[in-house]
Amino acid sequence: QSAGGEAMNENKLLNTDSSTGSVETTVKPLPFKDPKFIHSGIGGAAAGKKNRTWKNLKQILASERALPWQLNDPSYFSIDAPPSFKPAKKYSDISGLPANYTDPQSKLRFSTIEEFAYIRMLPSDVVTGYLALRKATSIVS
Amino acid sequence: RWLLRSPFDRNVPVQLELQELLLDHVFQRLGVASQGCVDHPIVLTEAVCNPLYSRQMMSELLFECYQVPKVSYGVDSLYSFYHNRRQNWPCSGLIISSGYQCTHVLPVLEGRLDAKNCKRINLGGCQAAVYLQRLLQLKYPGHFAAITLSRMEEILHEHSYIAEDYIEELQKWRSPEYYENNMHKMQLPFSNKLLGSTLTSEEKQERRQQQLRRLQELNARRREEKLQLDQERLDRLLYVQELLEDGQMDQFHKALVELNMDSAEELQSYINKLSLSVEQTKQKILQAEVNIEVDVVDSKPETPDLDPLGSEQSLEDVESINEFEPLFAEEQPEAEKPVAAVQPVFNLAEYHQLFLGTERIRAPEIVFQPSLIGEDQAGIAETMQYVLERYSKEQQAILVQNVFLTGGNTMYPGLKGRVQKELLEMRPFQSSFQVHLASSPVLDAWYGARDWAVEYMTREEGWITRKDYEEKGGEYLKEHCASNVYVPIRLPKQAPRSTETLAPSRVLTSSAGNPCEQA
Repeated sequence: QSAGGEAMNENKLLNTDSSTGSVETTVKPLPFKDPKFIHSGIGGAAAGKKNRTWKNLKQILASERALPWQLNDPSYFSIDAPPSFKPAKKYSDISGLPANYTDPQSKLRFSTIEEFAYIRMLPSDVVTGYLALRKATSIVS
Repeated sequence: RWLLRSPFDRNVPVQLELQELLLDHVFQRLGVASQGCVDHPIVLTEAVCNPLYSRQMMSELLFECYQVPKVSYGVDSLYSFYHNRRQNWPCSGLIISSGYQCTHVLPVLEGRLDAKNCKRINLGGCQAAVYLQRLLQLKYPGHFAAITLSRMEEILHEHSYIAEDYIEELQKWRSPEYYENNMHKMQLPFSNKLLGSTLTSEEKQERRQQQLRRLQELNARRREEKLQLDQERLDRLLYVQELLEDGQMDQFHKALVELNMDSAEELQSYINKLSLSVEQTKQKILQAEVNIEVDVVDSKPETPDLDPLGSEQSLEDVESINEFEPLFAEEQPEAEKPVAAVQPVFNLAEYHQLFLGTERIRAPEIVFQPSLIGEDQAGIAETMQYVLERYSKEQQAILVQNVFLTGGNTMYPGLKGRVQKELLEMRPFQSSFQVHLASSPVLDAWYGARDWAVEYMTREEGWITRKDYEEKGGEYLKEHCASNVYVPIRLPKQAPRSTETLAPSRVLTSSAGNPCEQA
């Protein structure tokens, strides 16, 4: 019972720490900080103690897109590199050598006969691992 | 993947609580002792075209929490460019900066970043390390846990290089001699976890014994139940037989019909069979009790019963014991291997080695060919071409005279040669170009920021003061020779519990920021 109570107290301490932004109880407060500082980025408009997560990059960019940009303004999402125009070269999944052949059963690419024999002996999780590595796993299986 | 938490999401800080912890540590280590404020101007780097929200949050942290007097934001690769300048500053150039999370192609004209033509590829050292990790984990599934990201980074730093011509280099790797000479063997620390099992051989034996014991208990219980049933049935039949002997023919015949039998002889034969099976079951129970004391592993499967009534049950028992026996037979020879480690067939040292062949060039190649990991963005070479084509021919020639490589992810041997070869392919015939590396790709950003700070310490340009922050908001930026371009959009001030929000508006004044000295 006492251990549970202590854990709860610890949680409460951590909660108050992050919400007030200063280190109060267990660590000596640092002199150069403002002890009453609260991050305004925590939570949304109606945040209580619940919405304490920060916006991640995707959310930030989504809200940035809605701002009144002009045509030539540089913004974080406008400087993303364009997709490639050249067709991708195919390399063997096992050795990285240029691959001329694809295994129809597992869709892995290979370049020599030994690699083919090796592919056919692989367990299925390794096969899906290789396909996931080049984002070739099919959603419909 | 990491167990460490970082304030960054790609190259933008989003978790400012963690950023606060980092700054606390920094200020403590630097010995900042002023009360209630950090009484020093701060020069901080930010992402290229940093989102306004992130700059707002960072300014808020610095000004409100630490009460800093003035702040200047700049781009790390531009600081590095500034540090590596030669006498002809302000100069133009094409900066290729490859960091931990992303790679930028930044054209700089007359010392000033041309932000609308920048491009960013979302691949960097982190993605190369993850790719290498997955490649090795798939190649060596037995060492899944030992192949950690920090070891991958070590491999990237020490053993990887960029091929000048990727296809040609791969062809070299086809030959076995080249492979033997250039393959690097990484020795993993020895661990006792062999053959994919997490149990030692003693634990395996114990588990086997437990399973056998459980099975035997089950069998014993089943036998007792069967014995009971058979006994009851036998008693019933005997009772019916007694009816016959006592001469109560009607009841006898009725009972016979109930039992589905035709004559007294049939009844007798059933009684005989049943009593025989009861005897056998009793004997088996006795035998099983004796067997449990004998060494469990050596017990043999019992002979199957020929009892018609109880045949299904006993066959089940025997089959399940039989199932275990072949399993144990298989496991026994395997369990021998880790015990006798000096057998020449199984080389423990080699088992714990990773062989790096083409992985040495595949992992750093992803920034040139993102299709290796399924990204559909263009690689560095194609992006450089794309950026150059947005300029006039004269400007292109100027930019290409000063191609500048910086950033930690550019420290692979062979990168300069590769960039030169790509430029040769994309530039007009017999035109000239120059590629330079930063003198210290990782630290030059800091040196450049230091140079800038020393030069501009007492000047007003480039610094955002506390007053600017309060009047113009946290997303305000003062431009200088190494900074982003400021887009004058006003963000609503975020408040933790307020419900009113201002619509984001565009500031009507002209583009803010003092023009830098060169313009």
